[in-house]
Amino acid sequence: MYEMLLYFNGGAMMSKIKNITVTIDGKTCHSEFGKTILQIARENDIYIPTMCYLTKVMSIASCRMCVVDVEGVDGMILSCQEPATDGIVISTNTPEIYKQRQSIMKLYDVNHPLECGVCDKSGECDLQNKTLEFDVAQQNFTAKDQNRKVQNWGHVSYDPALCIMCEKCVRVSTEITGDEALQVKFGGYNSTILNVKQDKNYASLGEAAAVCPVGALVDTSFKYTSNAWELTKIPATCSHCSSGCELNYEVKQDSILNSEEKIYRVTNTYEFSSLCGAGRFGYDFENKDVTKDTDEFKKAVEAFKVADTIRFSAVITNEEALILQRLKEKLNYKLICDEAKGYQDFLKAFGEVTGKNLYSANLKTISDSRAIIVLGSKINNDNPMVKYHITMASKHNQSRVAYMHTIEDTEIQNIVTQFIKYEVGSEEGVVALLADRLLKDIELPVKKREFLDSLDIGYLSAESNIGEEELDALAKSLIKKRGFSLIVGEDLYSHPRAKNIAKILGLIETYTDFNILLTPPSTNALGVSLICDLDKEAGNYTIGYNSTGDYILSATGDGNLDMPSFNQQEGTITTIDKRVVVTNVALPYGGYTLNDLANICWLNHEYTIDYTKELPTSKGFSAVEFDLLPNEFSITGKENRGYLLTSIKVVKDTSLDEVEDLPDYDGLVVYRCNSVEQFSQFTSKTTQLKEDNNLVGSPVFATVAKIKDGDRVKFIVNDIEYNRVFKIDTSMKGTIAINPTNDMGLSSTLVSSYRYSKLKLEIQNKNVSS
Amino acid sequence: MSLNKFKDRNVGVQNYTLIEHEAFPQTGGEKFARVLKRTIKGELFVGLWVTMRTMILALFNGEIHTVKYPFEKLPISPRYRAIHDMLRLLESGHYRCIGCGLCEKICIADCIKMDTKYDENQRKEVTEYTINFGRCIFCGYCAEVCPELAIVHGGRYETASQQRASFSIFDDMLTPIDALKEQKEYPGFGAVSPNADDNIKKTPLAY
Ligand code: SF4
Ligand code: SF4
Ligand code: SF4
Ligand code: SF4
Ligand code: FES
Repeated sequence: MYEMLLYFNGGAMMSKIKNITVTIDGKTCHSEFGKTILQIARENDIYIPTMCYLTKVMSIASCRMCVVDVEGVDGMILSCQEPATDGIVISTNTPEIYKQRQSIMKLYDVNHPLECGVCDKSGECDLQNKTLEFDVAQQNFTAKDQNRKVQNWGHVSYDPALCIMCEKCVRVSTEITGDEALQVKFGGYNSTILNVKQDKNYASLGEAAAVCPVGALVDTSFKYTSNAWELTKIPATCSHCSSGCELNYEVKQDSILNSEEKIYRVTNTYEFSSLCGAGRFGYDFENKDVTKDTDEFKKAVEAFKVADTIRFSAVITNEEALILQRLKEKLNYKLICDEAKGYQDFLKAFGEVTGKNLYSANLKTISDSRAIIVLGSKINNDNPMVKYHITMASKHNQSRVAYMHTIEDTEIQNIVTQFIKYEVGSEEGVVALLADRLLKDIELPVKKREFLDSLDIGYLSAESNIGEEELDALAKSLIKKRGFSLIVGEDLYSHPRAKNIAKILGLIETYTDFNILLTPPSTNALGVSLICDLDKEAGNYTIGYNSTGDYILSATGDGNLDMPSFNQQEGTITTIDKRVVVTNVALPYGGYTLNDLANICWLNHEYTIDYTKELPTSKGFSAVEFDLLPNEFSITGKENRGYLLTSIKVVKDTSLDEVEDLPDYDGLVVYRCNSVEQFSQFTSKTTQLKEDNNLVGSPVFATVAKIKDGDRVKFIVNDIEYNRVFKIDTSMKGTIAINPTNDMGLSSTLVSSYRYSKLKLEIQNKNVSS
Repeated sequence: MSLNKFKDRNVGVQNYTLIEHEAFPQTGGEKFARVLKRTIKGELFVGLWVTMRTMILALFNGEIHTVKYPFEKLPISPRYRAIHDMLRLLESGHYRCIGCGLCEKICIADCIKMDTKYDENQRKEVTEYTINFGRCIFCGYCAEVCPELAIVHGGRYETASQQRASFSIFDDMLTPIDALKEQKEYPGFGAVSPNADDNIKKTPLAY
């Protein structure tokens, strides 16, 4: 399984590895050239204290705690920064080093407020631990104390008096989340951290707070509500998007008067992995106070008897998807999943060319890339973790990032090196142009070459509005690079020409060094695509599972029968990394589950997770019991979560259609896209994630539509009526407005159509204030 | 640790006083003689007289020694560990508890629970605090660990209740604000030692 994947990721592999041997504290350690002394020590379970080291960012080297002694080298060496060379002999702990570390701790402790008693970090604070470790019992130095006020930045608050200026938060905000909100204000003892984008209240700053080794940066909502040691950690997986990030729900009784469990905060293994703001702050979407309603359950069973269709949301576990598939096999239900259907077809067409059922890239290959193309996705909104990995590639490898989309996104300006704008609807042409350019000097089978040669480049370029010089510049920027990623998004899956687009992309995957990532459009779209045979047309009577229907099962409480939400159930999901990861029950749930219904309807498994080992191995799943699946990172950062899917060979059908005439989308267009860190009806239900349920457009859009900021407008997209306030975003251009759908409850899952639609606006009432 | 200390059972120079008493009877005859002697002596009435005298004093002089519990209570030692009190700061009247949760953590019977929140003044506020006296074993750990001398043991030793669980909330234990003047420092577990002042070290301050 692993070999297969390694082979897949061949494009991003490093060149030859040189082995070295070093001696640390008398222990012989074998490793590879290029690793730092600290890394090798950690691999070999040797402890070197650090204060500023954070594995996932470039070494900061601000604390000097990690000093070691290298034989034959004068002075102390910073082990977090210094790559080991073959044969060196290292001591990590001599009396002098101890003294030096102790003095560092003494300096850190100067005027550090004695407020462990109330501090949120107490019990898991690096400063507290190391102060005790190095036996600093009193303050021997002095400095003039200052009045430094706590700053409330929205999602997080900053207490400069507690800050030890390790800079981890700044690095995370710059190198990982890419919001670039935090900066260091240098000034010796007056140094402090500045939030230069306070007005934006980035939820991604939660990640900066997570890495803070002391209590300086904390989640405002969690502040002073509980001591860390009182909380029970439930290892789980974020259910909001397909990245399926590792997280812990930390639970405790709600209060003295209410002994029901509540999630107090979300933490993660921040040393190696990250969480976006939605994962960190969007945790209270549970289906509360549900009891077993036997009458309703009987009605549900009746509904299952009359129904011929089940329509469901892709925010679902693999096991539940398998239950639905089994029901289909037994009882001939049609399965409709609007969020996954387009993706399933796309993946299939893509596989027909590549010969494999999965794409080759994953998040790691993206962050390791030197050149990245993003196509057909407002990636910052669609999948934050992909954006974080692009940011890492950009900051750590100076990766080129070409962003090909219809709308320029100012939020990712800092990482995008080339923005290539194309016209709405012209995606097929864009992909063809791209394939033509990337496959230019590559040897191809005759048929494929003919296909490319037959392209009318002039026409495609004119209609898609991509200039040849733009593609030239793109191609030029790829020269002499290693590690290429092409990230594809939701715009393409629902495109009327999706199949051909997928096949052309398949060519790029097969014949170039590009690793393609087909970003799953919803939490478990990949799992659903692999497990279920989805149908296109619904029948006469539909059961909706977190989606619309004649009888509705809902985990938001909007339906007839209640279902558990993701943080109330156990199961697995299939992530963008093609990894099957587990999630566990964080909060109690008193009602019925889909499995209860399925057991009435002729299936027979006691628990939902009994299906885990039955996930189809023919699609790449492994037959492993749920309880045997791990969910952790090793001390060196190896992701031991669930298992990786095996890529399966599929039957090839490499025939390509001619590129059709590109459609025309003149006039007002609306683009289906949720706000950053909003994904579904579940994120919409949470209290801390901000949600702008407005129609947002550029000043030009306003002029063309003859509306003003604040006007209330009505419009219909995909038969769903929207009643929204229009807001002008001056950073936008053109006549495409953005319309979120995740606040539309059950109908927010009805997203099978092309992401752009022509718009007819009905002005409801003019904004009185303007 | 060496165990020598524990093995040395020589507790030092003793200073016992021997009580003089007459020789014990040895033979059967001697024992019989003692019984006869005691029977005739009328020692019994000495004891009865003591009882009678006390009765007379109680009935006619009002010199009574019985404590009429629960109408009367004997004073208990100030270091006795009974139902807890939550103290206030003498200057501001604000409750002393900072919500650190150490008492909650250390409590061996797991009977303390507290709720805290971030208040408007950016401080940690204790919104509720309970002790389940049905479980408390009055070990005094909470009072000892408290860094603020906020939770201490008071003198209320009656803990009987109709249920096994018997919760006291913050307000039950907190010194009433109008009784602040009568609030006493607790000398027992966790209190500052009499020589505390001598142990204080000043932080070097250059300004
Ligand atoms: S806020 Fe925290 S992470 Fe940031 S510099 Fe200060 S101590 Fe380090
Ligand atoms: S929403 Fe996506 S990116 Fe954010 S934490 Fe969840 S899985 Fe990760
Ligand atoms: S006296 Fe002991 S058992 Fe009682 S509350 Fe305090 S710590 Fe707990
Ligand atoms: S130990 Fe003292 S200050 Fe801390 S929570 Fe308990 S009573 Fe309050
Ligand atoms: S860990 Fe090396 S300098 Fe901080």
